[in-house]
Parts: sequence; C-alpha cells; structure tokens
Amino acid sequence: MGKIRFICMFIMVACLAGCYAMRPSSGGGGQTELAEEGRRVDPADISLPFGYRIEVVATGLTFPTGVTFDEKGNVYVVEAGYSYGEVWETPRLLRVADGGLRVIAEGGENGPWTGAVRHDGAFYVAEGGELEGGRILRIADNGEITTIADHLPSRGDHHTNGPVAGRDGLIYFGIGTATNSAIVGEDNLKFGWLKRYPGFHDTACRDIRLTGENYRSKDFLKGTGEVSTGAFAPFGTATSKGQVIKGRIPCNGAVFRVNPDGGDLKLVAWGFRNPFGLAFSPDGELFVTDNGYDDRGSRPVFGAGDPLWLVKEGTWYGWPDYSAGLRLDEGNQFKPFLQEKPRLLLAEYPNHPPNPAAILPVHASADGFDFSRNESFGHRGEAFIALFGDQSPATGKSLGAVGFKVVRVDVRTGVINEFAANSGKKIGPASALESSGFERPIAARFDPSGEALYVVDFGILKETEKGAEPQRKTGVLWRITREVK
Amino acid sequence: MRYMTLAVMAVLLLCACGTPRRGENIAGPLTLSTEKEVRGEKYFMTYCNKCHPLGESGVGFALNNKPLTGPLIRTQVRFGAGAMPAFSKEFLPDEKLDDILAYLQVLREH
Repeated sequence: MGKIRFICMFIMVACLAGCYAMRPSSGGGGQTELAEEGRRVDPADISLPFGYRIEVVATGLTFPTGVTFDEKGNVYVVEAGYSYGEVWETPRLLRVADGGLRVIAEGGENGPWTGAVRHDGAFYVAEGGELEGGRILRIADNGEITTIADHLPSRGDHHTNGPVAGRDGLIYFGIGTATNSAIVGEDNLKFGWLKRYPGFHDTACRDIRLTGENYRSKDFLKGTGEVSTGAFAPFGTATSKGQVIKGRIPCNGAVFRVNPDGGDLKLVAWGFRNPFGLAFSPDGELFVTDNGYDDRGSRPVFGAGDPLWLVKEGTWYGWPDYSAGLRLDEGNQFKPFLQEKPRLLLAEYPNHPPNPAAILPVHASADGFDFSRNESFGHRGEAFIALFGDQSPATGKSLGAVGFKVVRVDVRTGVINEFAANSGKKIGPASALESSGFERPIAARFDPSGEALYVVDFGILKETEKGAEPQRKTGVLWRITREVK
Repeated sequence: MRYMTLAVMAVLLLCACGTPRRGENIAGPLTLSTEKEVRGEKYFMTYCNKCHPLGESGVGFALNNKPLTGPLIRTQVRFGAGAMPAFSKEFLPDEKLDDILAYLQVLREH
C-alpha cells in the first residue's frame, strides 16, 4: 500500500507541477515591456545585502555596455552603437560628469562597442565589428582613434569583446563565435548577418579534424529546396568525415592579447563560445565569462549554463562539443526536449577541457564582471558578475526569468550568491515587474579605489518571436557602495 | 486516499503562494551548519543551479516552494521528467545527491 501511495503521490506531484511541453515560455525576455513614456528609475526597487546602498549615476543612455575610469577617478561609459534587433546608432565613449554626459569619441557603423578600459593614459575599446569585422581601438583623451587590431572575424552572432589590461601591460580581449554551435542556420538569418554575409562562418584557431556530421535544413537563403551544412563551413556547405579545417589567426571563440601600440596579436586560449567579460583577479589570474549554447538553430543545445573560466594559456575550452567541461553526448544532459542529442563535430580534441570555476544559470547571459579588491567593500577576491538576463524565447524555453541581476561568485568553490536584484516575489526585468529597478545589467566594474561597484544597465530589450526589440535612451549607470560594515 | 489527494493539493496550492526567492539580499545570509550542507551547496552549484538558480525557477521548475520529499526528488533526479534529464549514479553518485538534499532542505527553510 505504501508503495502505491508513493507512486500515486509522485504522479500527482509531477502532473500538478505541470507538463513542460504544455507550459509556455515564461522567460524575462518575452515578459519585458517597452516604456511608453521613458523608463522610470528608483534605487528603492533594488534589494541588496544589509549595509549596501545603490544610487543612480546616469540615465538616458542608449545601449551602454561598459564603464571605465581615468587616473583622476572620472567615470566614462561606452554606448554600443548597435543592438540585437539590427538597430544601429553611433558608438560613443562618454564622460559622466555633473549629472551630464560629454562625448569623448564616436565610432562608425561597425558596432557594437562592447566595453572599455583605461590603460597607460589612453582608453581601449572593443569594437564588435558587425559590418566590417572586429577591432581594438585606442582612444586618446582628445578623442583621436587609432586601430591596434583589425580584421577580427566577429560579424556573426557574437562580437569582439572586452578589453582588459594585464599586469604585463598587454591588452586582452575576446572574440565570440559566429554561430550557436558551429552550424550556420536559420537562427543566423534572424540575427541579420547571414543575408549580409552568406559566406561567413566560424574560424578554428588550430587545425581540427571533423566527424563529418552535417545538418539538413531548408535553404533559407534561396527560399526553396534543402541544403546540408557542416561545422566551420558556410551555410549550405557539407563537410566530410576526417576533413581537416585549417586553423588560422585571428580566429573566433577565443581570447587574444595585443600590444597597446598595436601588432603582435597572440592567441591566449580558444574553444570558448562567447567570451564576453574578462577580468584579472587580485592574484593576477585571468577569468572570462562565456555565454553558453542556446536551444536554437540547426544544432540546438539544451541546458547549457554560462561558465566562468580561469584562463590557462594554450588551452582549448570545449566549443563546439563540450559545455562547461561536459561532452554534449553525456546522458541526455544537453538533449533538447523531443529532439535528438547534439551530434559531435570534432573527431579528436586538442585537450580535455578543464572544469569551470563556476557555472552561471542557463540563458542568464553572464557578462561583464570584476573582482572585489577592497576589504571595506567586502568579499575580497570574489567575482561580481552582471547577468544580462534571458532572451527567451529566442534562445530557448524558460519556465522563469533568469538573470537580470548582479551575483557574486566565490571562484574557489563555485558558489554563487545573489547580490543585487529587483525586489519582490519574482525575478525579472523591471519593466516586466512594474518596478523601477534593474532592466538588464551588462557590466559590473569597481572604481579604482575598490569602494564602489558600478553597474551598467543596458536598458530595455524585449524578445519576440521575430527577434529582439531594444529601446533607445533607457540605459542606466548605477553605483553600489557599502554604508554599514 | 481521497483525503490524501485533497491534502496534497491543498499543500501545493499554499506553497504556490510563497516566493521561492532565497538570495542573501532578499532572505538574509544562509547559514550552513554541517560539512554535509557545505558540500551539498557546492554540488548543487555543479549539478542543479544552472537550471534551478538558487532553487528558483529557470529552465527548470522552482524547488524552494515545492513540497517534494527526499524520495520524490531522488526519483525525479534518477529518472528525469519532462525536459529534465536523468542523472545516473555514475554521473551523480548517491553520496553527492544526499549532500545536495541536505543543502536543499536548509535552502527551502531559509
């Protein structure tokens, strides 16, 4: 009798919990609401641990992605100039002062600018390169722009990201992959770039041998018929078993470093998907946040978190056959619901990928981050990571909003704690919660004193079945300090 | 059996009214008093947190406000359900699952 009761209870609980397939996606991307009369902002709507305080530094920004500081402690923000949804603006480096914004430099139509760092008397900006390929730009105080790295293969889903300055005086940055999981497909057409650059695809950093797995799909470019597409190949180009893809530099899905004056571009590590955030720990070790696979496209991957990696030079980190150290054929861990498991694409691996320092939630979009260096702020040595928030349903189904907050991570144990998020019973972007707190945190960086954590909030970006719908002038710069110790 | 069904449904409905949020900024610092719970937190972060962030909903259902007992959770973990994959004993050994359940108990009561 006890056994029957147990089985009945289990079935009942499973039924009451709801059938996954029948539930609509409830991610924050789809629940986002566009603001009709400008975005409301109120620090009181954000919850922090006891003793911390948050305030507004700047509002009305258009697609801000990064913050940096000069030697005098002045604050600068970067506006991307491009957003998913194919919305183009002018990328800008702005100085924040006296409640206003002053333009230091403007870029062309080749965004998104994804971040900036001050180093040795100049600013370094990562130019995403959606139209002309990625670049690393050096910007003088008078606004003069010099290119120090060019022709970076980042015209696809992901861009040229970062940068940060190392103790060695070199500039480190990331380049994201062109695709979700190495197969060009319909999802890339929705992003916009496949129509612009039908021959664009992922570039391997070293020679790789393929299994020859190809994926059949409609010919989305011609509109009729079917095509077969292989890994690291243009849309509609099949690959064969044992085929060798020649590696070349620059490649994508990788971290590089370059001399601040330009030249001497060196590969640091590869096999990432979208190494968006880069930061050096107080011990001088390089960490990156890596946006994990989505459940989309010809080769969808379910349940892939966003790893935080400790970067070891020369190491391959697993893309496109591993997620956070686990191979994609591990049980049904990465099998999309009612679809086949992702088939493996590489016949051999450069090395067994390491385990990540932490795994951020699936679709959270773990982005810009920094390490606490000051005991007076607290949690010294822990990483404070901005979670942009899910772009569900475009990136896959979600039963709840994921991200839209700042978390702190103990990189020694992998334990993640919520640090700053909207108040209330539910997680989500402020516009979905009818509050005036965070919309989409995209970067977190400490000021030079280490006593204030600045949070860049990208602003409103709604996801629909047709794609992203970002809203201009809704970006915000926040500042968190510790008032009571 | 009929009363038990009603009771389970009532408990589920009541639980649905509570928030699953357990972050330090919402519920205060979480205190783990045993090594088992500390290990459980670490394993939870490795195996569970990506789909059930801090026990809240994400790609998977929220865990913090569901009255699931240890045996029910064990069954679901081993066999999977819906989109949730099954976790074999080779992939997630019993000892680690025990530690995760100990941590989850503390998290839910927090």
